[in-house]
Order: sequence, then C-alpha cells, then structure tokens
Amino acid sequence: MTKSRDDREDQKHNPGRRKFLKGVGIAGAGAAIADHLWTEAEAQEKPGTPTTLSGNVKITLDVNGSPRDVQVEPRTTLLNALRNHLEPAVTGPKLVCDVGTCGACTVLLDGKPAYSCLVLAVDAVDRKVTTVEGLGSPESPNAVQAAFVEHDALMCGFCTPGFVTTISAYLKQNPNPTLAEVREACKGNFCRCGTYPRVFEAALAAAKSTAG
Amino acid sequence: MPRVVNGVEQMVEIEVDADSGPGWGPNDKHTLLNQRLTRVDGPLKVAGIARYTYDQRLPGMLYARVLRCPHAHARVTSVDIDAASKIPGVKAIIQAPLTEVRFAGAPVAAVAATTPEIAGDALRAIKVNYEVLPHVVHAHAAIRPDAPKVVAEENNLQEKGKNGDPQKAEAAFATADAIVEGEYISARIHHVCLETHGMVVDYRGGDTATIYASTQGTFTIAADAAKELGLTESAVTVSVEHMGGGFGSKFGLGLEGMLACRLSKQTKSPVKLMFTRYDEFVMAGNRSGSWQKLKAGVKKDGTIVALNARQYRLGGLGQGSQAGQPYIYRMGDTYREIYALHTNEDSSIAMRAPGHPQASFAVESLMDELAYKIKLDPVEFRKKNLRDEVYYRQLDRAAREIGWSRRNPIAGGNAGPLKRGLGCAVGTWGGGGNNQCKVDVTIARDGSVDVAVGTQDLGTGTRTYTRAIVAEELGLTIKDVKERIGNSKLGAANPSGGSTTAPSLSPSVKDAAIKARMLMAERVAPLLGNAKAEEIVFAGGKVSAGGQSLSWQQATASLPAAGITSHGEWRADLQARGVHGVCFAEVEVDVETGHVKPIKMVHIQDGGLPLNRLTMESQINGGMIQSLGMALWEGRVMDAHLGMMLNPGLGDYKVPGSLEMPELVPLIDDDDKREAVIGIAEGCIIPAVGALVNAVFNACGVRVRELPVTPDKILMGLSKGTQITQI
Repeated sequence: MTKSRDDREDQKHNPGRRKFLKGVGIAGAGAAIADHLWTEAEAQEKPGTPTTLSGNVKITLDVNGSPRDVQVEPRTTLLNALRNHLEPAVTGPKLVCDVGTCGACTVLLDGKPAYSCLVLAVDAVDRKVTTVEGLGSPESPNAVQAAFVEHDALMCGFCTPGFVTTISAYLKQNPNPTLAEVREACKGNFCRCGTYPRVFEAALAAAKSTAG
Repeated sequence: MPRVVNGVEQMVEIEVDADSGPGWGPNDKHTLLNQRLTRVDGPLKVAGIARYTYDQRLPGMLYARVLRCPHAHARVTSVDIDAASKIPGVKAIIQAPLTEVRFAGAPVAAVAATTPEIAGDALRAIKVNYEVLPHVVHAHAAIRPDAPKVVAEENNLQEKGKNGDPQKAEAAFATADAIVEGEYISARIHHVCLETHGMVVDYRGGDTATIYASTQGTFTIAADAAKELGLTESAVTVSVEHMGGGFGSKFGLGLEGMLACRLSKQTKSPVKLMFTRYDEFVMAGNRSGSWQKLKAGVKKDGTIVALNARQYRLGGLGQGSQAGQPYIYRMGDTYREIYALHTNEDSSIAMRAPGHPQASFAVESLMDELAYKIKLDPVEFRKKNLRDEVYYRQLDRAAREIGWSRRNPIAGGNAGPLKRGLGCAVGTWGGGGNNQCKVDVTIARDGSVDVAVGTQDLGTGTRTYTRAIVAEELGLTIKDVKERIGNSKLGAANPSGGSTTAPSLSPSVKDAAIKARMLMAERVAPLLGNAKAEEIVFAGGKVSAGGQSLSWQQATASLPAAGITSHGEWRADLQARGVHGVCFAEVEVDVETGHVKPIKMVHIQDGGLPLNRLTMESQINGGMIQSLGMALWEGRVMDAHLGMMLNPGLGDYKVPGSLEMPELVPLIDDDDKREAVIGIAEGCIIPAVGALVNAVFNACGVRVRELPVTPDKILMGLSKGTQITQI
C-alpha cells in the first residue's frame, strides 16, 4: 500500500473504509431487509447524508495501466468487478472458491499478490491492479508465462493465472529462489490436475532465464 | 473396446481390418508424435485470455444461483418467492422439479438476476417450509435393519451380484498356511474441478440457441437442452472452447444446465449458471465410497488359494461403483458379493477410473498384508499372483527407481521418530477407443491447414496432438496447422470418459490426414514428373519425388480455389486397449504426531504410442497427485444428526498443495512396442493409493484400512498395535 486510506479525498471515488464497511453490513444482512436496502440505495445520493455507502457506486480502477470506470456495489469484490462489471471484462483471474482459499483469483495490488475475491472493488481504488493479462501476452509472454508453456506447468489451465501471477511477483522479490522457497511461495494456490512439480520447474527456470 | 458397466470393466471384441491403410509406424520413428510438444493452447492459458465457460459474458446476460435444501431428507411444503421477486434486478425464479428431497444440498429453486450479488440476495429472500423426515448418512448406520429408509419401501442395502462358489472358497481356505481378514474403507471424495459445473444458455426467444458448457462431452448436451427450450436438437449449438477440469463429473445437460435452460427460456435472455464452490461440493457428485470385507488365504510359497469378498458400494442415492475383487490378481477359489448401500447423500458419479482406485486400495492392502504374513517380498509376491507379465518389467524398473533395495523388511523397523517406508501397487485399465469421431482436414491454396472436429480438450492435450498428427503426416510443423474443436457444429466426437478420447479421436485424425496427403499428392504429381501419389514424400515442409522438390507453398498453389478437404473416420487398427501401470511410494511417518509426509513417488505407465511425452508425463503426475489426496487427506465428512457435509470448501476439504508435494517421477514404459494409441489417464490414477498405504505400514507398522490415512488413525494404531478400521 502506498498511502493511508485517510489521505483519500474524493468521496465519490474514494469511499473510506468505515463507510463502505457499513454498506457491506447492510447489504449482507440479507433477505428480510433487501427491499428496504434498494429503496435506501436510491435515496442515498443526497449530499450531506451521513455515512452509509450503499447502492451503486461509480469508481475508477487502474487495471493493467488503464483507467477503467465501473459501477459497483460497496460489497462487490474486486474479482467480481473485473469479471462481471468491467466492460469489457477482465477474466484472467478465475473465480474458484470466492472465499480466499484457492488463489485462482490472485492479482497484484501495487505489485503485491492479493486474492481479488477478498478485496472489495471500492478498496482497490487508487491502487494499481495488475492481472495476469497485464504481465504478458501470448505473443510477448513474461519469463514465468514462457516457462509455464515450456515446462507444461498447466493442464486444464484454470489455476494457471493465479500461479503465474503469484510467481511473477515472488521472483521480483526473490530473483534466485530455492525449490523450497518456490513451494512456500505457491502455498496459497491450489491446482487439481496435478501440475505442481512442473510449476516448480517453471518457476526455477524463469528465475534462471531472467537472472542471466 | 472397454465398457464400464456398474464400474466393472467389460471386454468387447473389435474386429480389426488389416487393409484399412497405413499405420502409425514404429514408435521411435516419429518426428512430432512421441516427442515433447508444448501444448498449443498454453500461450493463451498462461496469459489469461483462454476463454472458459465461466468467462463468458454476453450482452444482457443474467446470473443464476441455486437455492439448496438444508435437510438430508424432507418434503417441500411451501415456497414463498414474494419478497425475492420484488428485489430490483431479479428477473426470474423457478422451482426445481422435486418435492421430496433426499440429500442436504438438493436444489429447491433457482433465480436469475442482473448481477451475481442480486441473485444471492434473492436466494436469501426465498422462504421455504419443509416437513423434515428421518435421514441416515453413514454406511454403518444405514445397514442396520431399523435405519431410516432412504427411499420409502426400499431397503437401503441392495444386492448387486454374487460370483463364485462360497463352499469351494471355504474349502480352499482349509489348505492355506495363513489367512488375512480385514475391512477396507475408502471415504467419498470429490472431483474439485476448479471450474465448477455450469453453463451459459444463450436463448433469446428465437429459433436457435447457443450453450457454452463446461463439459467433457460437446455432443452430450444439445438433445436435452433442445427439449427444455422447445427447439430442435440441431438448432442448439454447444461450445466448449476451454474447460477447467472434469475428472469424470461433467457429462450431459445436468441439473445446472436444465435450470439454466428454463431460466433462459422464461426470461428470453442469456443465463449463466455456474455452481458456487459450496454447490460443487454438495450437488456436483463425488467418487463413491467403499467398504470391503476381504478374507484371503495364502500358502507359504506365495500362492493365494482363496478369497471371500463382501463389497459395499457407498454411492449415496446412486448405485456407486467398485470393481469386483480380486481385481487384477489370481486368488484361487474366489467368492464375492457386491451390494449398493444407500444413504441420504447425493449420488456418486464417475470419477477418473470409476470404482478402480477403491478396489485397488483394498486388494493392494490385502496383498501387502499377505506378503508380510508369509514373509515374502511384496514385489515378488505380486509377480507370483499377477496374470500379465508386463507388470514384471514395470515392477523391476520402478523398484530400481525408488530404491526398493533400501527397504527394511521389518515394518516400523527403522530407528528414530521419523520413520521411512516403501510400498508398491499395480493397476490396469482399458483405454481403447470407439467409432464416433468424424474429422475434416482442409488444405487451402494459401498453404494453411485446418483440422476440425467437435471434440473437447479437458487439459489432457487433445488440441496439441490433433494438430501434431496432421502436421507430422504432411511434413509440417505444429505451427503450420490450426485446429478447431469444442463445437457441436463440427464433426462428431465421443465424450471424454474412460480414457477413450485419444484412442477414439487420433485414429480419425490420422485417417483424415493420410487422405489429405493422398489428395495433395494426386494434385501435385504432374509437377513432380508424374510421380505416383504414394511415392511422393511430405517432409520438412517440402513435397518431393524423384529428386524434384516443391516448397509447401508451391505445392498448395496448385490446389483448386476451395482447397481440398478430406474426411477421416475411426480405424480400429490404429488403437488398442489395455494399459498397465505400477506405482511405488516412499513416505515418512512421524510416530510422535502421526503425520505422514510423502517423500517420493514413481509411476511407470505403458500406453502404446505416446502421442506427446510431455503431456503424458503431466497426466501421470496428475494421477499420482490426485491419489495422494485420496490416500492421505481427502474425505467428505458428514454430520450424523444434521445430515450435512461438514467440509464443503477448500479450507476444510484438504486437496494436495504445493507444500505436500513429494518428488514425483513419471515414467513412460517404452518397452511397450504397440503401434497403437491407448488412453492412459485413468490407468495412472489407480495404483498409487495402495502404494502409499503400504509405504505407511512399512514405515511405522500401522496398517490403516480406512482412508484417508490421517494422523489420528496412525496414533491409534501405534497405541494399540493393531489394524485400524473405523466405520
């Protein structure tokens, strides 16, 4: 994180943490008050009304270096915003568990890996969001992406964006890791097809290729 | 060809036509096949732009969610959707076609809304009243005569077959020098496809519809979807560009597809219904559990004289699956009874080698116990009782690789609290193909080559070998050929189940490629001194004969404006059935904590002609890793009183992760000289569980007969010094 949340000024684009959490509280309270929520949401926009942020919020996200305007609810996760609210969608990060257990939705926030299913979209404002698409392309892959292809570090490929993102960030922090360190770095990412050994190989090969 | 009937493979003979055309040639003479080819969809997948069903987002698309019943057995008495349907953004709410619910998680209603968040709100706003009925979710309770009935008027225990003569088996036991009797139990485990089950149904009220499906069978969906949508089958196109894992669980329209069709039809909008992870655990199926009571008698020389087996398939509402004992071994006079034992759980469905890892785990444990009892080396003991000699060389090779000579023959005999041990096991599968794939190869005048067939790539490398077969036949590189797959408007293809895809698809691709080569040869013959078509050589991007040579571009320039298209059909002589695999494992058991750490696994697998060594090795790795989960960590935990699954998430249901990975050695058995393609995906998941539990026994002397082998069972065994079975 580059600056404290209190530094944020623009109410519309920088909902403070306390405010949006209230919004989440209401939205999450569920069925019984769902109707009220929506009427409330419409009444929300009145200037000067204290605090509760609810309904739709217009924000701008910095995704892979481009400003992206999007309307979300305060409870909308960054993952959902990327996949289901941005137009056009950014679908590299995958929705697999939605509760921070699998790593398939990993993105970089200001260069650090984060589960985008655990980050609210409104909390990603003013932070640089990098998805796997922002790391390289099929024509011009980064070292990790190229090594994944070369070492067959993917099968179905659904976990792959998460692994690629995690490892790409890790190699910046530790350009010359041991196998044990790579395994440790990947412990927040699950694969089901069984690519782990080749993920490790690819990560070590990518480190080697960038070291030279 | 292999057919799996109730989980037990049956042999079906195929006539081979010897004159059907050129074959593959020797396995060591290929230029692209049997090499290490990186997968052609790799660059798209690593860059995050491969489009999966879950990534589809269409204009005006609605998001659907499913409301599940929280009770294991209940009658739905009322559903109140008033509040839910008033939520802005909710477009449709439908009820699932069930009034009596027999497992916790069964669908009760489904909603479609403009965002996933609103769909979630709507679920919470639906009020359902239930009449709760008695339930039973554990096998040991369900088998009691007074247990609640899963289906009224029907016994929970259903006999499914008896084989052999019980009197003969009993008599043979009298001739045995040693007898082992045990109950082996494997937990129900989950596929955990990372892309959950789901579909996007794009029907906007017209005469046609498109369905994007996460499926193992492009051609298994349109008929049922058409019925739901009121269309003709051919008006429904199914698309499966990329899919995120199936492992046997994704065939047909399914409940998710049916509900999505109904919602789409009602709203005349595209509807996306992808299961949540919770849905996936409680509604998307699982590998059936098993409970096997085995008794075997053995002579001192290692000859097994008798087996008595009582096998229960634990498939919840379904029939379950379990291969019959003595599985692949010779055991003299055998008698077995197989039953389905029902509980209030969702039905098991096919999972990679349905019924086989369960049977293998039990019989390989039994084999190990017998070997210790008569003090024979487990490898030699297996050889003595195996029918097929291919295993002998595989056992020897893998034994060398793992360092079997290091093994302490005394279980638990190594010093210190961290005890290492070695184990082995053996597996088989069919892996033959069938006549379903229709492939077109088109060579255009500009030199481009297209191979088209509606098949699907599950991550197995189908796209890559489809291209490679054509490129090799035409003397081109992988990059010169483009494949189009995953669409029901392309040539028919079989669903990917039972390791049948490669042996069904690759002969048709080869046939089309050979025919394309011959069509080309006839066209270019006049440019090559009127050479005979069969004498024209396609190699290295050139077309040559009699000392003359054309570049590929020169050659294709002679084609008609529309290019040429060949049509390939399946050829039985290009495939075969029957694979062999052997797995060895080394583990380290901490006898103070009961923790098992896998150290190394070796799996050797034959499979005729390896289409692509790189992806084949990956599949072998995958088999070992998924087996690790089944052996050591995975298992559905059901609460007896609530009737619910207690671990329906990746935080509680432990799948193998990076920290647990042992050293993995995938070996391709190149002594298999069959010039034929055989499916290997299932073969390489079967033996590893047995190898692991046997390694645990060798390490610490505790025979854990119930999967998964968790620390509590190890510690219990160490404290009692006896076999552990808890059901």
